[in-house]
Amino acid sequence: MSIELKNEYGQIDISNDVIAQIAGGAAIECYGIVGMATKHQIRDGLTDILRKENFAKGVIVRQVESDLIIDMYVIISYGTKISEVAYQVQSKVKYTVNKTLGMPVKAVNIYVQGVRVTNS
Amino acid sequence: MKSLNGIMFAEMVQMGSHHLYQNADYVDALNVFPVPDGDTGTNMNLSMSSGAKETESNVQEHIGKTAEALSKGLLMGARGNSGVILSQLFRGFGKFIVNEKELTAQKLAEALQHGVETAYKAVMKPVEGTILTVAKDAAAKAVELSKTEDDIIVLFEGVVTEAKASLERTPDLLPILKEVGVVDSGGQGLVYVYEGFLACLKGEQLPEKHVHDSMDDLVSAEHHKTIAGFMDTSDIEFGYCTEFMVKFEEGKKEFNEASFRSDLSQYGDSLLVISDDEIAKIHIHSEEPGKVLTYGQDYGSLISMKIENMRQQHTDIVGEGYKKNKPQADVKHPYAVVTVAMGEGIAELLRSIGAAYVIEGGQTMNPSTEDIVNAIKSVDAERVLILPNNKNIIMAAEQAAQVLDIEAAVVPTKDVPQGMSAILAFNPNASVEDNKKAMSRASEHVKSGSVTFAVRDTSIDGIEIKKDDFMGISQGKIVIADTSLDTVTKELAKKLIDDESEIVTILYGEDVTEEDASNLGEFIESLNDEVEVEIHNGKQPLYPYIIAVE
Repeated sequence: MSIELKNEYGQIDISNDVIAQIAGGAAIECYGIVGMATKHQIRDGLTDILRKENFAKGVIVRQVESDLIIDMYVIISYGTKISEVAYQVQSKVKYTVNKTLGMPVKAVNIYVQGVRVTNS
Repeated sequence: MKSLNGIMFAEMVQMGSHHLYQNADYVDALNVFPVPDGDTGTNMNLSMSSGAKETESNVQEHIGKTAEALSKGLLMGARGNSGVILSQLFRGFGKFIVNEKELTAQKLAEALQHGVETAYKAVMKPVEGTILTVAKDAAAKAVELSKTEDDIIVLFEGVVTEAKASLERTPDLLPILKEVGVVDSGGQGLVYVYEGFLACLKGEQLPEKHVHDSMDDLVSAEHHKTIAGFMDTSDIEFGYCTEFMVKFEEGKKEFNEASFRSDLSQYGDSLLVISDDEIAKIHIHSEEPGKVLTYGQDYGSLISMKIENMRQQHTDIVGEGYKKNKPQADVKHPYAVVTVAMGEGIAELLRSIGAAYVIEGGQTMNPSTEDIVNAIKSVDAERVLILPNNKNIIMAAEQAAQVLDIEAAVVPTKDVPQGMSAILAFNPNASVEDNKKAMSRASEHVKSGSVTFAVRDTSIDGIEIKKDDFMGISQGKIVIADTSLDTVTKELAKKLIDDESEIVTILYGEDVTEEDASNLGEFIESLNDEVEVEIHNGKQPLYPYIIAVE
């Protein structure tokens, strides 16, 4: 599936994977995020943190009518204020996708799939 | 001071929090990364206040317990990216010293280092050039100093100095900061907190409010937000970037910053107001700059106004990229002449005869020392001669020459004709000192005159002048005033030109036609048929004519 944009010169197709990469890249730069997780932890058998090339498994891009909705499955560092980190991810992803693709994002839903304790 | 207990630490936290609170607006304005929404200061302030509140209600002599309270308060109140990072810094700090009753300088340094390590662990991909970098550099400095230093105050002084230096380096690490011309907002917030700590340790008071001499950082951050927000020129709602200062006067309206802000905000957006007892500096994007200025006048007199058409600028930026920022610095000039002038035509003329950089400025708009320094840096000169071309700019130029660590000298030219003669005398093979002498001598040979108009009724040197009259100025003295531009110019020419005159250069301003200028040229030739007349379109504002006679 892909997002289609039309302008006077023709058509632009942006695949959902691309959007997922951009959103995932923006998310892991956010403070407090230690990784992305897969949506189906048991089916995929990947209980650990996703590597960069697998980001798309942890980011689901959907289109509901003409709105763009992004679901993100993340792992957050233990000892941070989780609600605030999640909010920062929403804000950063929305901003980045909007700036780089020039398309508005209706919603960024964050699913916190785990917290990781960093031994200090 | 050799040891730090919980009670002292609690006071430090209060002061750090208070100092951040005082400057939260400034931090907000710097916020361009990661999302330019201008809330870093607000968020950090709320986070830190929450930490300070929790600390206040749990003050204990045992520093480990006090730090634990701070860490808890910060965690609960963490807001925004930088707030969360701040909470992690002090969480690591607190955890490390949880069993300590008092801290030595060594323990303090280790605890700071530990805070940084904890903070770095909570992110997959740390971005450098942010609050993280500032905290890291400051902690590293603390560890280094603690090897030889037992005094906590001396140690923390080093920490604050390094934090500030690191903050200044953030634009080198994070390109977006450099592009916009600001330092990192979160890093700045942390510096305020550390400054508060240090002031408390030393038992000093911090100034209630930081009045920044320069709004430049704030203005460029605002502009970045504006540019980032508009993809298309036609999206710009408020088209004029308006900057001015109001000097408060007795008998005018009493200044109240809050109501001043709210009144002005109805005229546009990107509003910045900085004030002290005597003066307020205002920056606003408005569609009606006239109304904004009129409003400002209710409070006192206006000084140094600048209004720019942003639609025009935006078109330029979108069309040609960011060329505008560095128009003249493409070529390096190891031995450069840097000068000041108003008017595009004059600038072009000066460049054509050898000026490496022409700073825009003059009678009503004196460039600052910083402007001059920046201009010189941008041409990458190793040796430089500065021609101020105005007696009010000579001081700034002298200061710039001192600030620079390259060989620099000022040729004290008082007007454009002097500057032109000086540039022509420039010899790239001679030393700076010799050039200064030769150029000064050359500039004294030229006789300069200019025509401008009076802004108010006055009487100078025995000449009665009415507002809007034209005035002829010869060698810095007003020699004639009249309502007719023609009369004034001709009388002035008669005073300037004598039997020894050889070359006359006429620079005509933006309000004068080429035809008028060539008529003047003919008149001058009729005075003395030996002279050669050169006419240039100087496009300068305010001065219909500038005349140089050699």
